[in-house]
Amino acid sequence: MTEQRPAGERVWEVFRQEDEGDPMVHSGNVNAPDEELAMHYAREFYGRRGESHRLWIVARDAITELDDPDLLKPPLDRSHKKPGGYVIKHKLEAAKQRAVAEAGEHDG
Amino acid sequence: MGTRGPAPVLQYPVNVMNDADTIQPLNGRPPYEPGDAGAFFAHVGSGGKVEADDWMPDEYRAAVLKFVEMHANSELMGVLPERDWIMRAPNLRRKLALTSKIQDEVGHAQLLYRVAEDLGKPRAAMLQDLLDGKTKFHNVFHYPTRSWADVGIIAWLVDAAAIVSQQALRDSSYAPYARTMKKICWEESVHIMHGRDVVLTLMNGTPTQRAMVQEALDRWWGPLMQMHGPPTDPAKDKDLHWGIKAKNNEQLRQEFLSIYVPRIRELGLRIPDPELRYDEAEGRWHYTEPDWAELKAVVTGHGPASESRLEFRRLNFADTQWVRDALLGGASAAA
Amino acid sequence: MTAEVTLDAPARAAEAELLMSVADDEFVIGFWDSEWTGIAPMLEEDVATSSIAQDELGHAKALYELLAELTDDDADRIAFGRDADAFRHAALLNHARVDWAFSVARRWLYETADAVRLAALSSSSHEPLALLAGKMRREETYHRLHADTWFRRLSDGAPEGRERLATAFECLWADAQEIFAPLEREETLVGAKILSQPMRELHATWSSQVRPMLEPLAEGLTPAEPSPDGRRRRTDDFRWLHGEFTMVARSEEDATW
Repeated sequence: MTEQRPAGERVWEVFRQEDEGDPMVHSGNVNAPDEELAMHYAREFYGRRGESHRLWIVARDAITELDDPDLLKPPLDRSHKKPGGYVIKHKLEAAKQRAVAEAGEHDG
Repeated sequence: MGTRGPAPVLQYPVNVMNDADTIQPLNGRPPYEPGDAGAFFAHVGSGGKVEADDWMPDEYRAAVLKFVEMHANSELMGVLPERDWIMRAPNLRRKLALTSKIQDEVGHAQLLYRVAEDLGKPRAAMLQDLLDGKTKFHNVFHYPTRSWADVGIIAWLVDAAAIVSQQALRDSSYAPYARTMKKICWEESVHIMHGRDVVLTLMNGTPTQRAMVQEALDRWWGPLMQMHGPPTDPAKDKDLHWGIKAKNNEQLRQEFLSIYVPRIRELGLRIPDPELRYDEAEGRWHYTEPDWAELKAVVTGHGPASESRLEFRRLNFADTQWVRDALLGGASAAA
Repeated sequence: MTAEVTLDAPARAAEAELLMSVADDEFVIGFWDSEWTGIAPMLEEDVATSSIAQDELGHAKALYELLAELTDDDADRIAFGRDADAFRHAALLNHARVDWAFSVARRWLYETADAVRLAALSSSSHEPLALLAGKMRREETYHRLHADTWFRRLSDGAPEGRERLATAFECLWADAQEIFAPLEREETLVGAKILSQPMRELHATWSSQVRPMLEPLAEGLTPAEPSPDGRRRRTDDFRWLHGEFTMVARSEEDATW
C-alpha cells in the first residue's frame, strides 16, 4: 500500500497567527513537493478568507517531537514549580488573625 | 481595647501542614500502556483522546481510517453534483459563491485525506480505491442534478443534514479528526447560508421558480431521509462505543428534522411525506420508513449517477496524471 | 465620488469601451479557469487555482460595477444579458481550457500582460479606475507568483510537460497579442490620460519582457502584433461557454436569482 506514495510528496505543517501579537497556533498540514508550493498551498488552506496575519510553514520531517511522559510529566511531586502548588488561604487567614490579635495586645 | 481577650491559639488546619499532600501528583502517563487494548478502549470509551503518533489497537486504527476515508471520499464526490452548475451560475454573486463553496468541499477532502493519510494509507491509494469502486461515499452524491434549484437544496439541506453529524464529530476520540471537523463545521455554516439564500430568492420569485424548488425538494427528500443510515443498535455500534462518533443514526435524523422541518414549511414548501409528524408525547418525529434497500444499492455503486460520476473522475484523473508525475515523480517504494 | 461628475460624454464613452474590454477579459478567464475547480491535478492545487479564478471574477464584478455606474446600467445585466458577439475580451480567451499545460500557458501570458496593463491603469487620471486598478494589482501579485512557479516547473521539468507547454504557447501566442488590440476610442483615452500610454506601447513593453523568456522553450514564436479585430473575433468554444453561463440567467423572464 505505502509504495503508492509519490516520491516527491512531502507533508508540511502550518502554524497560523490570527492577529498581530497572537501566538502561532498549529492549524493543519498540506502536501507539497517543495517550500515554494507549500507556501502557496498553506496560504490557500489557512489564509484564503483573510483569517491569518502570519503563517509558519515547516516540513514535518524537520520537527522534533517529544511526547515521552517520563520526561514531560514525571510522576513525583513538582508542585513547588507551579503557582497552584502554594496553598496560602488558611495561612493568610491565620496570619491576619494573629496580626489583629497582636495589635490588640499592643493597644492593651 | 483589652476587651478582646487573649489572642487565639494559632493552629493550621492539618491538611495544609504539608501543601504537597493536598495537590494531585502530576502524572502524565496515558491511562494505557502500548499494547494494552483493554485499557486503550477504556480510555476512549470514557472520553479520552488519541493522537496520530499514539499507540492504538489495529481495529481502532482501521475503524477510524474507514470512517475518515469515507468522509473524505464523500467531500470529493460531493463536489460533482454542484459542479454541474459551476459554469451556469446566473449572476456574479452566485458565480463567486458557488465556485467558493465547491472549492471549500475540495479543501475539506484535502483536510480529511490528510487525517486519513497519517493513519497509514497514502492519499494516492485512497483515490485509487475510490476510482475502482472499492470504497464508498455518501448516498446523496450518487444522484443527478436537474435544475438550479438543486444547487439551493443541496447547499441548504444536504449540507444541513451533513453538519448535524459533523458537529457531533468535533468530539471524536481521534483528536486530529476532531480538530479538522472544527475547521470544517465553521466553513460549512457559510454554505448553508448560501443555500438558504438561493432557496429564499427562488421562493420569492416567479411561480416557475417556486415550482422548481418544490420539484427539487420532492426529489431530494428520500435521499435526505436515508442519509444518516438506518437505526442501529447503539450497543453494537463500535464507532459509537469507541468515541469515533458521538451520536447514532436515528439521533442525527431526529435532530435534522427538528431544526429543518419548520424552516422548510415556513417558506410554503410541502414535504413529500404524508406520515411526517412530531409526536409531543414521545418527543420524536414519525416518518415513512425510508427505502433502506435503495440506500444499500446506491452506496454500493448502483445509484442513478454512481457510474457516470466515477467515470468522470477516472477520466479527469487519467488526464492529469502527467502533471502529478512531472511534479512529484513516480511512486516511491521506500516511502 | 461618482464617475459621472468628472468625465465629459466622449471620455465616458471611451472609458466604457476600455472597462468593458478589461472586465470581459477577467470574466471570461475567470469562467474558464473556474472549470478546474474539483478536477485539478492535485487537491492543494485545485484550491489554489479556484482562488485565482474567483479573484478574476471578483475583478470582473468590480469593473462591471464601475462600468454600470458610467453607463447607468447593471453589472449582472452587462455580464449575463449580452449576446456572445457583444463581448469584447481578447482572442486569447476564446479557447476552452484544454489541458493543464494549456491553462498554465494562457494564465502566464494573461498575467504578464495584465501586469503591464494594470500598471498603466493604476496611474489613470480617472480616480475610481486608478484606485480599483491599484487594488487589483495587489491581488495579482499572488497570481503572477503562481503562474511563474508553474511555468518554471513545466518548462524545466520532464519532457512531456515541456512539450505540452511549448505546444500551448505556440497555439496561443498570436491570440495573446490581442490583449493589446487597439480600442476604437483610444485617442480620447490617452488624450484625457485615462489610459497613460497607447496600447501599442504597452504591447511593446510586454513583448520585450516575455519573448526572451519564451524563446528557449518555443522556438517558433516570432514577433507578432495585435490586430484591429483582436477583441471582436469569437469562436465556437466561447459560444459554448456563453450558452452555459446564460442558461439559467435567461431561462425565466425578469427573474431574480
